[in-house]
Amino acid sequence: MSSPLRSLLKFQESGLLLVILALGLLLTVFSGTVRTPQFERTADGGRQRVFTVNAEGERVPAFVEKNKFLNAQNLAQLAKDTSFTAIMAVGMAVVIIAGGIDLSVGSIYALASVLGAMVLRHYGPEGVNAPVLGVVLGVGTCLGTSLLCGLFNGGLIVALRVHPFIITLGAMAILRGIAFVVTKGQSVGGFPAGLRDFVRLEIGDGLSFVPLAAMVLVTVAGWIFLSRLAAGRRVYAIGGNELAARFSGIRVERVKLGIYLLSGLTAGIAALLSLGYYGAATSGDGSGYELNVIAAAVVGGASLSGGRGSALGVVLGALIIQMISSGIVILGIDQNYSQIIIGTVVIAAVVLDNFNTWLAKRRLTQTR
Amino acid sequence: MKKLLLLLTVCATVASAAPRIITIGVVAKSQGNPVFQAARVGAQDAAKELSAKHGLDIRIDWRTPNEEDAQKQAEAIEQLVLAGAEGLAVSCSDANKLTDAINRAVDNGVPVATFDSDAPASKRFVTYGVDDHSCGVQTMAELAKVMNGKGVVAILAGNPNAPNLQKRVQGARDEAKKYPGITIRDVYYHKETPQDSAAKVEQVMQANPDITGWAMIGGWPLFTENALKWQPGTVQCVSVDALPAQLAYIRSGHVPVLLAQQCYEWGHRSVELLIEKIVEKKNPPAVKEVSALIPVTKDTVDEFAKNWVKWLPR
Repeated sequence: MSSPLRSLLKFQESGLLLVILALGLLLTVFSGTVRTPQFERTADGGRQRVFTVNAEGERVPAFVEKNKFLNAQNLAQLAKDTSFTAIMAVGMAVVIIAGGIDLSVGSIYALASVLGAMVLRHYGPEGVNAPVLGVVLGVGTCLGTSLLCGLFNGGLIVALRVHPFIITLGAMAILRGIAFVVTKGQSVGGFPAGLRDFVRLEIGDGLSFVPLAAMVLVTVAGWIFLSRLAAGRRVYAIGGNELAARFSGIRVERVKLGIYLLSGLTAGIAALLSLGYYGAATSGDGSGYELNVIAAAVVGGASLSGGRGSALGVVLGALIIQMISSGIVILGIDQNYSQIIIGTVVIAAVVLDNFNTWLAKRRLTQTR
Repeated sequence: MKKLLLLLTVCATVASAAPRIITIGVVAKSQGNPVFQAARVGAQDAAKELSAKHGLDIRIDWRTPNEEDAQKQAEAIEQLVLAGAEGLAVSCSDANKLTDAINRAVDNGVPVATFDSDAPASKRFVTYGVDDHSCGVQTMAELAKVMNGKGVVAILAGNPNAPNLQKRVQGARDEAKKYPGITIRDVYYHKETPQDSAAKVEQVMQANPDITGWAMIGGWPLFTENALKWQPGTVQCVSVDALPAQLAYIRSGHVPVLLAQQCYEWGHRSVELLIEKIVEKKNPPAVKEVSALIPVTKDTVDEFAKNWVKWLPR
């Protein structure tokens, strides 16, 4: 076997990469082509349609034909759609590796969104005209709220010694309830342009890269934390065997508090990106996202019994789920079947990843 | 050689005769709500009729979140544009959140029509649906009529984040002010599923047995069989929508009037307007096209029920 292929197969997330490559190949081959209008950049940085002259001498809009899946716009769209779930999944991975669970991430996302949005609106087009201060305070409120929510979860779990499932289930309802009360159920929009312009910053022909860059940064930070820092090793130790970790001198409560803070923070980062990209928030935002995030983490190799998982793995897990969801649109599959397909592929991906892990263990045993 | 040339000519003729494919993306609020399934049938029927009329192959690409989620709707709009849809019909769960996605679609040369729930600040070229404030007014007016202008009323309001429902609630409140004998106990929100809404009605009635009238600005609880647990006539109820399951409440006497939204037309008319725009390059005379509410009573229920043979998913 050639050396690069052998290295790839030894790589912890190789099973997930293979699934992604296979999905990408299938979608490229079977998606067909799409005819899209052609645009060009104007001198002031805007976009305008390109026109050509046809055989009859008429000025007609120009079109380009592309592969439906394998084109820059679609891949950027895929990355953007993945980023919200993937960022939250990195935080969730840390919690799951430590043997915990956080069911409140969707509600943290909603509360951080609406409180951040209310501050942004106050300083936005219809409020006080202090856009820079508005953006700073809005970002601070959004991230600060998410950290407070994480502290609330972690604090109660540590202080009351109650299973995180119960505490975060309660928090899920409480936080969404607060979001509803403060907004009175209304959508909050009308922000200073700064945040929106930044998050929607495009390169090339309409490629939004800020959500993608944020996802990469969070993944790298998660990878460094989990695999390069002592604090990250403590997370694995607690998830592997909490009692042994305690006897080995790890301050379990402090680590637990920290992981829920991290989970809250990643939900806040995702909420911030959503605020900037979509330009509005409601108390209903993020409903059911906790299950998407947990699914991404599990598909990405995080073990619900703790002690196993990685930041990169969960991001790849989120990408697989999003690829399937986008693939259903690209292939024009009837939406009635979408949930069946997503569920099936999620199970298949987990089985493939487990098989890969089993192979790796077997190789390790044989080496010894 | 001659045979080969003949074959190539036949192939070329067949290829050139193949009708132009136009894909219309439809993004409704939620898969589980039957009114949107009627809209889907309407869109598909319009696609068939207009395909025959214009010699086209019009296809409907239905991309609706399982549950209401404006972010998922925005993603669906972006995906449909990238997948080559030539027109979009959208019912907005959150107008603020969808405005930019709609604008980006329009900027990419894809016309957008909204139905049921509008995004007024967006670049959509038309919106089709009831006037929501008038809908609330009409619901309360019908209820006040059957309650003889007096009693305690509860308003059932569905998703608190939906701008169209907020306008209906406001319309109902405004109309109630005309009747000094009517008191509004409260506006009750709930998850827009039949079970959740039916449970909400039950909870509210247990806590407030003095309620004598319900103004339902959406028909959610009446999609179940046993939502109104009182003797017919003891508590009055007027509801928006007239889906097949709701018609049983008219027949039983629990609900004297249903106000039918033309949900089949949401899909049908949206596709018609889009095809006029795409193929005939025609804009509608006005941006807002209002569809009337059709009152359904015990006298008209059987006639109205016949529509559902056509409107239900086949």
